Amino acid sequence: MTREDIIRPENLVYGKPQLMNDVSMHYCPGCSHGVVHKLVAEIIAEMGMEEKTIGICPVGCAVFAYRYIDIDWQEAAHGRAPAVATACKRLWDDRLVFTYQGDGDLACIGTCETIHTLNRGEKITIIFINNAIYGMTGGQMAPTTLMGMKTSTCPYGREPQLHGYPLNITDIAASLEGTAFVSRQSVHTTSAIRKAKQAIRHAFENSMNGIGSNLVEIVSTCSSGWKTSPVKANEWMEEHMFEHYKIGDLKDTVHP
Amino acid sequence: MQGAIEINQERCKGCRLCAVACPLGLLDLAKRKVNRKGYPYVEQHDKEKCTGCTACAIVCPDGCISVYREGGLRRAKVPQQTTPEVFQTAYTESEKGNQLPHPEEAQSSQEVHLMKGNEAIAHAAIRCGCDGYFGYPITPQSEILETLTQLKPWETTGMVVLQAESEVAAINMLYGGGGSGKRVMTSSSSPGIALMQEGISYMTITEIPTLIINVQRGGPGLGTIQPSQSDYRQATVGGGNGDYRVIVLAPWSVQEMADFVDLGFELAFKYRNPVMMLSDGVIGQMMEKVILPTPKPRRTEEQIAKECPWATNGHGLKGRKPNILTSLEMIPLEMERRNLEMQKKYAQVERDEVRYESYQTEDAEYLIMAFGSIARISMEVVGILRSKGIRIGLLRPITLWPFPEKEVARLGKQVKGIIVAEMNAGQMIDDVRKAVCGSTKVIHFGRLGGVVPEPNEIISQFEQDFL
Repeated sequence: MTREDIIRPENLVYGKPQLMNDVSMHYCPGCSHGVVHKLVAEIIAEMGMEEKTIGICPVGCAVFAYRYIDIDWQEAAHGRAPAVATACKRLWDDRLVFTYQGDGDLACIGTCETIHTLNRGEKITIIFINNAIYGMTGGQMAPTTLMGMKTSTCPYGREPQLHGYPLNITDIAASLEGTAFVSRQSVHTTSAIRKAKQAIRHAFENSMNGIGSNLVEIVSTCSSGWKTSPVKANEWMEEHMFEHYKIGDLKDTVHP
Repeated sequence: MQGAIEINQERCKGCRLCAVACPLGLLDLAKRKVNRKGYPYVEQHDKEKCTGCTACAIVCPDGCISVYREGGLRRAKVPQQTTPEVFQTAYTESEKGNQLPHPEEAQSSQEVHLMKGNEAIAHAAIRCGCDGYFGYPITPQSEILETLTQLKPWETTGMVVLQAESEVAAINMLYGGGGSGKRVMTSSSSPGIALMQEGISYMTITEIPTLIINVQRGGPGLGTIQPSQSDYRQATVGGGNGDYRVIVLAPWSVQEMADFVDLGFELAFKYRNPVMMLSDGVIGQMMEKVILPTPKPRRTEEQIAKECPWATNGHGLKGRKPNILTSLEMIPLEMERRNLEMQKKYAQVERDEVRYESYQTEDAEYLIMAFGSIARISMEVVGILRSKGIRIGLLRPITLWPFPEKEVARLGKQVKGIIVAEMNAGQMIDDVRKAVCGSTKVIHFGRLGGVVPEPNEIISQFEQDFL
């Protein structure tokens, strides 16, 4: 069998998701956002929800998520995506409503909206990209920046006396009565990506079945902010991030 | 040969994550070559060894790799496909119902009720087919949320009522709700409205129609809980960033509190812009006779789709481009174009939507100008001064923006002087002075910080300046 025999439409087993358009993404090489975007696009199509989805974009690197996945989107003010999503879901209860937020947006300026939306048990999903740094503004300290980690606003490393401690908001979310499913995943290997996809799908299905609020954190890399290569960023994440942000389901009220 | 891949090398950014993921090590950067964007890109070598395992494509953040395998999907693990019907939402639109709030009252819609201005707003909202209220308690307007929760409209019309965690959250809930095509509203008082300014700015450039009610109290800061009109400037020229306007309606009675809810929604959707009802603690708290609007149903999904083809609710997505509401533009020329479109719209509003009420201005030698609750006090002033033989009239702007500039200019040429009575340090007076452009003397009367004046205070000021 020749290469030409194999490369035929009927033999296609994996490609760019159909909901993802051809616009070249603005993300840096190797950015985790791209993988999570693909998962979101795949899952919406697999659930047949193209005409019933409202996505809410954050402020941060994913501010332009609406350029890449062909669904209806609202771009929220910084940190307010969960409030925007709350109204969308309450007013359109048969819609799949999700927010897509980074650590600055969700765990810093939007902490109030995040906690209250989750605690009210809004039937939505929050996808939380945690790379422990501000990407779009150029590598400043995030609430999730690890101790000792260097950023442009803690150039000598994060230390508690000056900067306080990393905020583990997903652990807080798991302790809230309103949450149904809280999970922390990563997308650095094929198996991790498969698990992350399962988690997001589970969260989306919960949202559609009217079960609690759902949070999926994706521990991610930021090779530009971390000033390293994409491959080394993945290694650094495994070595340092997973110790503080432990991978796995923190809470699942559907499959306890 | 079992598998093959195609790499979109123009999309590739050369991150090499696929090279690490490939179990056979068949991928690496092309040596000394870059694509049109300047990125090094990945190439496959020893192509015949590829098994089509998909690892490279799964980890590729940019979706550059398509994988083919002998036998195709028949031998691949297919993800579980579903359709929206399998999901059990807590309740569906039809179950929730869209009943008129009080069917028996529809017949006797001229029935006179006695209630507070704040309560009238709540009743009017339910009757006007409002889809959702989102708000945070603050004196002197908490009766709006309290009345709504007592009336439980979610059981009749299906209207959503939610106590938000803050005014900031509430205004962003309006952004979401209005952006998805629903009739949504919030209410607050001065300090809370200040917190909402960012959201209002966002809703103007994204053209999201919403209704915001400000039952003003004294400021600055926490100020007092007593009535004031010191948010005039914030409301009419915009408290947020950017070149925008909000249509501002100023009710002076409980009846207008009720009537302006529907009017507010009509204007908001007609111009795709936030509308503010600028009331104050007097009108919010006082009880008065009111005829509530005739109940009408909330709009159906089909009606919303027809009226709001721009709304982000997914409806009919397969037959159209995605709807995106965003205030962000990276290209200044495009942002300028959007701004100019807004300005064009505002010019139309200024032309078509000016509303005001005149009282005994035909033969007036003097004019008193006032809006909201102080306009009622000014009515009495007109009566007292007329009984003394002074020909004075009242002009009450109903829309504060657009301001009745032409009528003020016309009267400015007719009268010897204008007294502008406000419960602030002189805010509307700037618009009056601009309109008369020096053609007559304009003086200010004001009480600040939550003090409501007596008619004789205004009369003293008038006599001192004009007689």
